[in-house]
Amino acid sequence: MESNFGIYIHIPFCKQKCFYCDFPSFAGRERLIDSYLAELSREMELTALKYGQDGKMAPYTVYIGGGTPSLLDTAQLARLFSAANEHIRFDQVAEFTIEANPGTLTKDKLRLMKASGVNRISIGVQSFDDNCLKKIGRIHRAGDAIECIKLAQSLGFYNISLDLMYGLPGQNMDTLKQSIEQAIALQVQHISVYGLQLEDGTVFARQQAMGKLQLPTDELVENMYDYIAATLPAGGYNRYEISNYALSGYESKHNSLYWQDVPYLGFGAGAHAYWQVNRYENPTNIDAYMAMVRRGEILSNIEEKVDEKAHMEEFCFLGLRMTKGIDKEKFRETFNKDIYAVFGDGIKEMLDKGFLQEKDGALSLTTIGMKYGNIVFGAFITGE
Amino acid sequence: MDTKKIRNFSIIAHIDHGKSTIADRLIEYTGTLSKREMADQVLDNMDLERERGITIKAQTVRIDYRGKDGEMYCLNLIDTPGHVDFTYEVSRSLAACEGALLIVDAAQGVEAQTLANVYMALEHDLEIIPIINKIDLPSADPERVKQEIEDVIGLDASDAILASAKTGEGIEAILDAIVERIPAPAGVADKPLTALIFDSYFDAYKGAIAHIRIMDGVLKKGMGLKMMATGKVFEATEIGCFRPATMELDELGPGSVGYLAGSLKQVRDVRVGDTVTLANGGAAEPLPGYRGVTPMVYCGLYPVDSADYDNLKDALEKLQLNDAALVFEPETSVALGFGYRCGFLGLLHMDVIQERLEREYNLKLITTAPSVIYHVYKTDGEMVKVDNPSDLPAPTTIEHIEEPFVKATVIVPNDFVGAVMEISQNKRGEFKGMDYLDVNRVMIVYHIPLSEIIYDYFDKLKSSTRGYASLDYELADYQPAKLVKLDILLNGDPVDALSTIVHVDNAASRGRSLAAKLKTIIPQQMFEIPIQAAIGNKIIARENVRAMRKDVLAKCYGGDITRKRKLLEKQKEGKKRMKAVGRVEVPQEAFMAILNIE
Repeated sequence: MESNFGIYIHIPFCKQKCFYCDFPSFAGRERLIDSYLAELSREMELTALKYGQDGKMAPYTVYIGGGTPSLLDTAQLARLFSAANEHIRFDQVAEFTIEANPGTLTKDKLRLMKASGVNRISIGVQSFDDNCLKKIGRIHRAGDAIECIKLAQSLGFYNISLDLMYGLPGQNMDTLKQSIEQAIALQVQHISVYGLQLEDGTVFARQQAMGKLQLPTDELVENMYDYIAATLPAGGYNRYEISNYALSGYESKHNSLYWQDVPYLGFGAGAHAYWQVNRYENPTNIDAYMAMVRRGEILSNIEEKVDEKAHMEEFCFLGLRMTKGIDKEKFRETFNKDIYAVFGDGIKEMLDKGFLQEKDGALSLTTIGMKYGNIVFGAFITGE
Repeated sequence: MDTKKIRNFSIIAHIDHGKSTIADRLIEYTGTLSKREMADQVLDNMDLERERGITIKAQTVRIDYRGKDGEMYCLNLIDTPGHVDFTYEVSRSLAACEGALLIVDAAQGVEAQTLANVYMALEHDLEIIPIINKIDLPSADPERVKQEIEDVIGLDASDAILASAKTGEGIEAILDAIVERIPAPAGVADKPLTALIFDSYFDAYKGAIAHIRIMDGVLKKGMGLKMMATGKVFEATEIGCFRPATMELDELGPGSVGYLAGSLKQVRDVRVGDTVTLANGGAAEPLPGYRGVTPMVYCGLYPVDSADYDNLKDALEKLQLNDAALVFEPETSVALGFGYRCGFLGLLHMDVIQERLEREYNLKLITTAPSVIYHVYKTDGEMVKVDNPSDLPAPTTIEHIEEPFVKATVIVPNDFVGAVMEISQNKRGEFKGMDYLDVNRVMIVYHIPLSEIIYDYFDKLKSSTRGYASLDYELADYQPAKLVKLDILLNGDPVDALSTIVHVDNAASRGRSLAAKLKTIIPQQMFEIPIQAAIGNKIIARENVRAMRKDVLAKCYGGDITRKRKLLEKQKEGKKRMKAVGRVEVPQEAFMAILNIE
């Protein structure tokens, strides 16, 4: 079994679907949770038997995301953790993260998490403005989030991450500033900030189609972006990826795997895996997922075979998301080719445009290049 | 083959009146192909033709049929294209025939397109057999349609055949009528060979292949031959007939229809309408009836990737072999680089060629808006023909401009007369007359600029008559008109490929609409892009495409990398469809935007 890989576990249940969300998550299906956890355990067991050592997987990171993992009640959470313990060896796990929603997180659940070895909590705050929270379909208020973070800190969590969003309906520069300042004031270790993207099938997409969605202007969204990119580093949070900021040493180890060509296994409905040069995707439909596990199938649905060309492209367009960029020597070691021999034209064009820079043997996005990342990534997609 | 036992005929019909299905039934009935071999509508063998339900290429098939007299007859069906753009192809096919089946839909009656082709068949002195098809339809009214054929066309419809390609009714009667009513060819064997080329195609192994009709003489394999128009001398390496696949024969006698392959590698060697004769001791005069092709509509075709320039040329040459009406010559645009100015018979023809280039030759193309040919009279007395707006001489040197007008014939149900008149008036049409075909249907004639027809006249006509209108047009004359060049500036620079020639009365509104339309088509880029419409030095409209403020996928985890890749690939694919004009990336549809404005 490979020694360096991550594990992602997906909990596809939510109290309410947020208006911007197109992740595999479902509201009102809580009655499925118990049987879902059983299948999740079974999926881990089968995978550990096939790929583990002595029937257990030994990953570098574990990440429980959703959906809303904190929606599970304490008994369900306890079952989830015990299933994880049964099939995963935690002695080499450097980071064990769980996502939580301030509207469903309680003191008991936090205690249980702590006792089960969770060492990082990622809290979906999105905004500290109640008006805004309401407009994006969040179930909690700003006060809940503050309370929740303080509670986690008081219970001994020293690695807390917040998710924030900008470009939201009802948001203005003032409310955004207040949210960023509040996040800094709470002295969390990690802050992710995402610009709103309209995705098909979401409430927002439908509102947009009906002409009922009022979004801030492009100019205002750009100003918000600039403000965030300036303010968080000034507060000590290094921008180590396009949307991620952290105090030194608190960069997310798990998410960094995705950007650095490291394999990962995914468990649960809609979970993705990158394993032995294939990318896999579990069914997003909960019933279909459970049926798959009952049939004893694991890593069965190949989404993409990553051939050398695709592999080189991914190496670049994912690696470039990180501030440190891509190491030319590592590219050569991985592919036995010079990066310029493969993507020379695109690289030169992006260097000329000032989107890319080269220093200390690495290629990385410039400040302006981060803003127009898709254009740079496009230069590393060679097409047919 | 005894010339007296040959019958050569075409089928004339309006789109959808059932030409191809009747042809299928004739082939099926006579056992030319077994049921198993019959794909529906075997004659429409281009994907595009099947998709659009139209015939673009003339197709030929030989059918053997035992007549009532017990003798075997050889019936050559020459299928003809069915769209106003392809009138010329129809004329060539008709020249190879002695008779024609006129198919009229039993419910729809005579349409404008039917009329045009019947007149052409009458010009060629063909024996016409009226057939009323689709009599199985509940709405069929054969008696009314017979009356219409007599009133409108002046053909005796008393022995019109009632048929249904769907049920097979009347098919045998049609075959018997072909034998009994259509005259045998008049050619003789002991004259020097003359053969009319009425179509051609390119075969990857055999080279250029001519569809021919032997008028006089006998064509034998191995003969030394000559093309009378081009002077090309070659040897007949293979001859044969179509069933509908090629079947090799040793000779083709007078009146026969078939194909001829020779050492004809050059596509230009086989000119449709040309006469094939013997290299030595051939005919003195070529066959009459060859009508030169005059393209009516021109546009620029440019490869998105300039490396495809030579491929585009090869593809156009190959298409030209099958399509005598397609003309092209190299052209350079400041905005688009190197490409070809291509002439077409009409908009459908243009569409079809463009689509075939993209599909069959895998080319990505930018097409500029179509233009008619303007006659520009200069102050120095010289007249220049302009088919590209950017070639229009400086206004100060122009005395006046004339543009082509057509006689447009529209047939509609009574209720839509007002709608047709309103549209035609708005398109600068001049009312010429109106005739009642029957109590319900009216034929309206307008004298109208061709440029207005190629914009959106037909689309407008169709949509405001609930699809009932049928249109036919023919070039009438050139008339002076107050025309000006409308220029578009992107980012301050004029883009030659976006210039159009418009009537001065419409110029301001067209300019505003076009600028507004372009704003919706040109994607945001990293800088603000002013779009201006100008006549001469005067800016008449301005819009702005605002700068793109940022473009980056915010979230990239949860491990769904494949989806991110797909997004990036889609973005890349969109870019491939764009042409960099100066600093501005312009999508293909921008160059056709003028066609889609109000």
